Amino acid sequence: MSLVLDGLTYTYPSSQAGVRDVSFEIRPGELLAVIGPSGCGKTTILKLVAGFLRPDGGRILVDGVDASDTPARARGMGVVFQSYALFPHMSALQNVAYPLRIRGVAASERRTRALEALGLVGLAREAERRPAQLSGGQQQRVALARALVFRPRALLLDEPLSALDAARRVETRDEILRVQKAAGIATLHITHDQEEALSMADRVAVMGEGRLLQVGTPREIYERPASRAVASFVGHANLIPGTVRDAGSIDTPFGLLAASSAGRAPGSAVTLLVRPERVALGPAPDGLNTVQGAVVRDRYLGSLRRLDLEAGGHRLTVETAQAGEVSTVHLPPSAIQVLAAEA
Amino acid sequence: MGAVTALYIAYLLTPIALLAIGSVGATWSNTMLPEGTTLRWFEAVLADRSFRQAFWTSLVVCAATVAICALVGTPLAYALYAAASRKIRLAARILHLLPVAVPAVVLGFGFMLVFSTDALPYLGSTWVLVGGHVVLGLPYLLQALIGDMRHLGLERLELAAESLGASFPQRFRDVVLPALRHSLLSGSIMVAALSIGEFQLSNLIAGFLNRTYPIVLLQAFYGATGFACAATVVLIALAVLASVTGAVAARGAAVRGAAA
Repeated sequence: MSLVLDGLTYTYPSSQAGVRDVSFEIRPGELLAVIGPSGCGKTTILKLVAGFLRPDGGRILVDGVDASDTPARARGMGVVFQSYALFPHMSALQNVAYPLRIRGVAASERRTRALEALGLVGLAREAERRPAQLSGGQQQRVALARALVFRPRALLLDEPLSALDAARRVETRDEILRVQKAAGIATLHITHDQEEALSMADRVAVMGEGRLLQVGTPREIYERPASRAVASFVGHANLIPGTVRDAGSIDTPFGLLAASSAGRAPGSAVTLLVRPERVALGPAPDGLNTVQGAVVRDRYLGSLRRLDLEAGGHRLTVETAQAGEVSTVHLPPSAIQVLAAEA
Repeated sequence: MGAVTALYIAYLLTPIALLAIGSVGATWSNTMLPEGTTLRWFEAVLADRSFRQAFWTSLVVCAATVAICALVGTPLAYALYAAASRKIRLAARILHLLPVAVPAVVLGFGFMLVFSTDALPYLGSTWVLVGGHVVLGLPYLLQALIGDMRHLGLERLELAAESLGASFPQRFRDVVLPALRHSLLSGSIMVAALSIGEFQLSNLIAGFLNRTYPIVLLQAFYGATGFACAATVVLIALAVLASVTGAVAARGAAVRGAAA
């Protein structure tokens, strides 16, 4: 089953917040993560797809069929909520069997299928427990089993890991991915955690202020961000203001840097993106793009060190695994990406 | 801390203990405690037609009040919880808390004015009495229900049920009602206890033939001490029964709440 969002628009009554003209596709079996700062509209996207909100404009196509006007209960989406929303008065088994009960599945088959779904998430032995008797991670897995047991047309995950502690989160990440791939189901994953998105998703959609900024593979999003907003939201980024001098050089606070202007006219304002881990220590062999400065902050993060170097009134963040003094670094031309200088 | 608690409990229980002793004492005048034991005061209360009648009226009014509160209160609490507008919620909250803040005498006077008009000449009927008790009791039930809805995050539970395919009646039957059963029970028992003990309002609006037990009880204070004690013990027994059941129900809710 595939899921297509086509020009989806929604504005909350009595506010300006909402989403504008959002379009993307989730292919069969694909996990697409939507990320963005809080208030960017990512949860609104989930509510629209689930049918909890009706779009003001645009369409939602499920397997090519317009489902925009289908009520939530008839839409057949498996939703996992941030707080799991398990029914407190039902056992894990009854929770998982509930969608089957609603669909009129016979009691014996209901039990078999619910137990099977609980087995898939490794909770067959906890079937008779109430939600209150399960840990956060277990509740999360029951919610996943409940969302999948009725063979939904798509799986919608609303910040499914945010209520778990850091150690459980990574483990549960793999668990969700394993179950999702086994079910081969198109999945929309809403999260504010970019690391979660980059590590789990086949593709990532970045949202900002109600608009879709970029859709791409995690690698594309990180290495080839389409805009300054995407670059600054995903990962750490040095964003250096500059002016194009000619096709191969740009004026910056760090001096004239060699970088491809990507066809921009001389004199146009640009932003240079350099990821901190792409900054090289020491002077370049050919002297190109060498920056000398003073270390103003030095953070030890275990596997690496993050330094702030001040030069030309501007800070440059550098990541390295090496210990020792740092005063000269260089920016390899291949590590520099030129973006439009938006606000 | 322990001493304060002990003093408070003594202060609370001593009058009740004295009432209990007085109700089985044969004679009690100018002594610290009554002399001799007897059951004749209870027999006398039982034999008194106006007390039997009042006891029955109290039970009927209480049962009707609880039933109406539950039937009106559950959908009302749900509507207040789900109300989209913050202003509506605030207005409704003030409105439904008014009966708690306004003295029952004021409320009773209002009832007297309204129900002695030509259009509504119903003052003194049992239904007006029930209506008064509903007005007084409903806020407590609503508080219990709305608090529980917030605690449970009922809205999310409903969204979950909806996404799983449940229609509104199915959600109400399978999720809303069962999830709220503890608070509905404990709130209802609160209403029952309130209705059984209510005096101020009932005294103003009850008719002569449908006086509730507390009103008739007041008459007993003008007679023999033992008789008054026995009549009061009957009321206390009713109230204790209501609060014990209420506490058990509330404990069920608390156990589930703490574990959740």
